[in-house]
Amino acid sequence: MGAKVKLAVAAVAVGGVAAAVRRRRVAKTREWVVMTVLREPRELTGDARPDALARLAEHHEVRVTAAPGGRGSEIAVRPATGQARESLRAVKQLLETGEVLRVEGQTEGRRTAVGRAVLPAAKRLARRSA
Amino acid sequence: MRALCWTGVNDVKVEKVPDPGLLNRQDAIVKVTASSVCGSDLHLLDGYVPAMAAGDVLGHEFIGEVVEVGPDVSRRRVGERVVVCSIIGCGRCRYCRQGTWSLCDNTNPNPAFLETAIGHAGAGIFGYSHAMGGFAGSHAEYVRVPYADHNAFPVPENVSDEDAVFASDAVPTGWMGADIANVGPGDVVAVWGCGGVGQMAMKAAYLMGAERVIAIDRFPERLSMAREKAGAEILDYEKTDVLDALKEMTGGRGPDVCIEAVGMESHGKGPQYAYDRAKQGLRLQTDRGLTLRQAIMACRKGGVVSVLGVYLGWVDKFPMGAVVNKSLTLRSGQQHGQRYIPRLLELMSQGRLEARHLLTHPMSLDDAPKGYDLFKNKKKGCVRAVFYPFNGHKSAAA
Ligand SMILES: NC(=O)c1ccc[n+]([C@@H]2O[C@H](COP(=O)([O-])OP(=O)(O)OC[C@H]3O[C@@H](n4cnc5c(N)ncnc54)[C@H](O)[C@@H]3O)[C@@H](O)[C@H]2O)c1
Ligand SMILES: [Zn+2]
Ligand SMILES: [Zn+2]
Repeated sequence: MGAKVKLAVAAVAVGGVAAAVRRRRVAKTREWVVMTVLREPRELTGDARPDALARLAEHHEVRVTAAPGGRGSEIAVRPATGQARESLRAVKQLLETGEVLRVEGQTEGRRTAVGRAVLPAAKRLARRSA
Repeated sequence: MRALCWTGVNDVKVEKVPDPGLLNRQDAIVKVTASSVCGSDLHLLDGYVPAMAAGDVLGHEFIGEVVEVGPDVSRRRVGERVVVCSIIGCGRCRYCRQGTWSLCDNTNPNPAFLETAIGHAGAGIFGYSHAMGGFAGSHAEYVRVPYADHNAFPVPENVSDEDAVFASDAVPTGWMGADIANVGPGDVVAVWGCGGVGQMAMKAAYLMGAERVIAIDRFPERLSMAREKAGAEILDYEKTDVLDALKEMTGGRGPDVCIEAVGMESHGKGPQYAYDRAKQGLRLQTDRGLTLRQAIMACRKGGVVSVLGVYLGWVDKFPMGAVVNKSLTLRSGQQHGQRYIPRLLELMSQGRLEARHLLTHPMSLDDAPKGYDLFKNKKKGCVRAVFYPFNGHKSAAA
């Protein structure tokens, strides 16, 4: 297959996410980023508040409420920026599993020039938007 | 090391790539003994899964030996022979705790692709595009396994590599198809697709007490494998009208459970197939829905349709009327392997479950492009080609 097609395939990925992000911006109705974490509210507030959550609260408004039916806690963060989303996801992972899963630095074969250029951007978008 | 990389639509190459290292404290590095092709890879090859980039390492169904563990790995040890689940779970989010591991909240570092496309992101999968996390796959000499305590399972000594490798994906997927459909004594179960997944669903259905299993496909070698190895009655959809035949075989009731193990690239005949292909080609629908429609039409009133075949987007002409008016239950999912693998290895160890006949083409990793050609085009009776990175298996393709 031609090099052009390969580049196109890599570009489609970025295009798709970028378009989604653009759509989201236009119809932006969400103020808070909210995620449910499998932890009791009392484990996340007061003296027990984990450092990761405290750090998030330095630049964001953070609200912790009990999720219904013993489903843990709903952590809401405002403003709902991409950075807030990425940070909150990291906090959730850290609290639930003890680490934040990485894929950067993984084994990969030869990237095309376009692939090298667009993949990091696509991944950044893929981590941040929703 | 050497690894099989996706380089473009229907184009794969063995390349020299850097060895993987530990990236997280709960990772392990596994030296790959055997790594299988899977029907799911065909959707990547054919370009139906977006978010692939040239250089991505393929492969997700594999066994190997643990050669390195991160400081926070406590259950797995260097030297252990393990089978690794194709779908990655964290083991501690609500979904993993409930046994719905492929819904894991924490193993897809690139969630926006799926959140945008389907509302939420599922778990990461080895070698399965950046939308499923962007994890390097197992068609390589070594692979990094995240959350190793939860995703790598020791293989009992008396279970062969050739059986164990399929405990990673095909066996638990087939098992889940029957399990989520609540197959039980007396049931008649019809299975579309006699690939690895369909055949394992047939075995599972019998082990759960099904009275009759009916297998549907068009390749004679696959149909006879389903008959001989899984004890199924067989239907060739090119020679018989499947809906008529199923009614006749079930006293007019229809099967109690219909398991679809074909997926979005189903093949067929007649105007409906032509319509599906044309629309999919123009990207007006993403997935061809022929077998799905057939399973829904065939299913008895009040029965269960269990969808294992992978669909990624939209299916046209979905017979919602049949779902409502026949009170059908629709079940589906990417496989929750971790929930089943220990039990499946035990059954294999007791000699009650066997999968090695799926392995029709053992090959060296260097021959992997040839292996995919055989598998994709169902040449030379290929049901699954399995790559052995370390011993120079003579290519069965020759
Ligand atoms: N849910 C999961 O977690 C999971 C895991 C593994 C595989 N899968 C999916 O399961 C499906 C099967 O996988 P596989 O590895 O067995 O693939 P495979 O390609 O080996 O088998 C598919 C079979 O379907 C048959 N088929 C095609 N059109 C048909 C039709 N109209 N009627 C009946 N049979 C038809 C083909 O002839 C082939 O034998 C794929 O879609 C794959 O992506 C899902
Ligand atoms: Zn698979
Ligand atoms: Zn999880």
